[in-house]
Amino acid sequence: MNSIWLSITVGLAATLGSLPVAVAVAWFLERTRSGLRDLVQTVVMLPLVLPPVVTGYLLLKLFSPIGPVGRALSSLGTPVAFHWMGAVVAAGVVGLPLFVLMTAQAMKAIDPRYEIVSGSLGASRWRTFWRVTLPLTWPGILSGAVIAFARGLGEFGATIILAGRIPGETQTIPLEIYAELDAPGGERRILGLIVASVAIGTACVLASRALDRWYRRRLEIER
Amino acid sequence: MKFEIEARVRRATGFALDATIACEAVALGLVGPSGSGKSTLLDVVAGVEPGGRILLDREDVSALPMHRRRIGYVVQDALLFPHLSVRANLLYSPHASGLGDVPASLDIHTLLDRMPRHLSGGERRRVALARAILSRPRLLLLDEPFAGLDEARRREAMWLLARLRAQTRLPMIVVSHVAEEIVGLTDYAVRLEDGRVAASGPSTSVLRAGETGMDNYLVGTVVGEQRVRVDGVDLAAVLPPGASGDVRLACYGRDVILAREKPAAISARNCVETTVRSVERTGTLAMVELGAPKMRAVITSQAADALALEAGAPVVAIIKATAIAYLGGTR
Repeated sequence: MNSIWLSITVGLAATLGSLPVAVAVAWFLERTRSGLRDLVQTVVMLPLVLPPVVTGYLLLKLFSPIGPVGRALSSLGTPVAFHWMGAVVAAGVVGLPLFVLMTAQAMKAIDPRYEIVSGSLGASRWRTFWRVTLPLTWPGILSGAVIAFARGLGEFGATIILAGRIPGETQTIPLEIYAELDAPGGERRILGLIVASVAIGTACVLASRALDRWYRRRLEIER
Repeated sequence: MKFEIEARVRRATGFALDATIACEAVALGLVGPSGSGKSTLLDVVAGVEPGGRILLDREDVSALPMHRRRIGYVVQDALLFPHLSVRANLLYSPHASGLGDVPASLDIHTLLDRMPRHLSGGERRRVALARAILSRPRLLLLDEPFAGLDEARRREAMWLLARLRAQTRLPMIVVSHVAEEIVGLTDYAVRLEDGRVAASGPSTSVLRAGETGMDNYLVGTVVGEQRVRVDGVDLAAVLPPGASGDVRLACYGRDVILAREKPAAISARNCVETTVRSVERTGTLAMVELGAPKMRAVITSQAADALALEAGAPVVAIIKATAIAYLGGTR
């Protein structure tokens, strides 16, 4: 049961951490005409199409104590590889593509002329982002967050490579299920984990749909 | 306000806007068929779309980003921010310092705490207009401000706007399909066709020039300030600044008054002594063709009889300068 709370904590931390990234990337993709958009979109979408094990391997190369990012973080006292933080990074990275996709979708649905009107009223792009774009996109962002959270919760391949399977620290629900399947009598012990997984997943999908409806009402989109 | 606008936009679809407007007006009207580039021109002025050189009272605003231009833009469907109350919408602009009497003058002072989704179409537009005015712009752009409202509401809203215009003298550019709005709100108008200026001048004359059945199309040469020589006769007409060379003009036959003698003191700038070439009666109306300038006057048959008009008779043609529409150069 410990792994359920661990999974939820890891999922929440990963979602919170990737939120500003998802919003910034979605805004960049939807609201700029930069030539770098294709590159950024490709990089962000990679975790969706790569085998999670490959994603995990690449993250390990990046975040291991001798990797370029890992070395800097270790010296700051924040180890990532084979650490709780590693599970958070893995969950965040694999959840990011869906998070960005849904946030970008929400931004695309906003009539860009709201931002034009805001500009004509004297609001800078920055002010327009905080006062118009973000408030109108919020429900879509939350809906994306819920899905990214659910996706991160189930992450297995990247997590086991980057964070390992340390009970109480990185052993999330899927990792515990995997371990128990090999152990005698484990199948009975994982029943609770299976039920919890299905329940959390269902709740996330329902929440995402409810947020989507709220969002449509708010934007006065008829359906 | 002195407007000097050069708008050049080229679209992948093949549409090209290439319009130069230079005039001095309190309110400038833009007319023309759908797709003629009116809204694109507003976008260029507002700074939404690059592609132009915009001078307002000789100040070049072309390089300024949209939010620094101080140009209020009221778009067709109002676009109130749906997550903000009417009051928050009105005070949205960083330049808005308070509501003052603007809500009352636009009759929206009772709606301040409502959300936009609970407003009618006419209310939304008035709120959008008030929001733009409260941002204290130097120029207001109105794109079909009353389109889609029923006739009574449209008139009401137009009346409020006209009163506001008279009170504030706020310069504006108004795009409209409704002749009454252009005449009622603007003093100078430009007709766009296929992205080019097809006519410009006092609103009344430009509007009529666009209608079919214009009796007189004239070609002349600019010979001085607001003077054009047509068929050897100098006519006063309202020309845009900088008009020169050969120009095209138009005038309604019904706007030409005929007299036997030259009137002594009259506001009409053109009292031309000429001769009648022919008179053709068609029922109650008489078409009187004049010698020079070669023009047609449309008067009633009764009037033709009273003046005893017949071919060869001397006559004075009286035409207001504002009744002569400028249609552009001869190109």
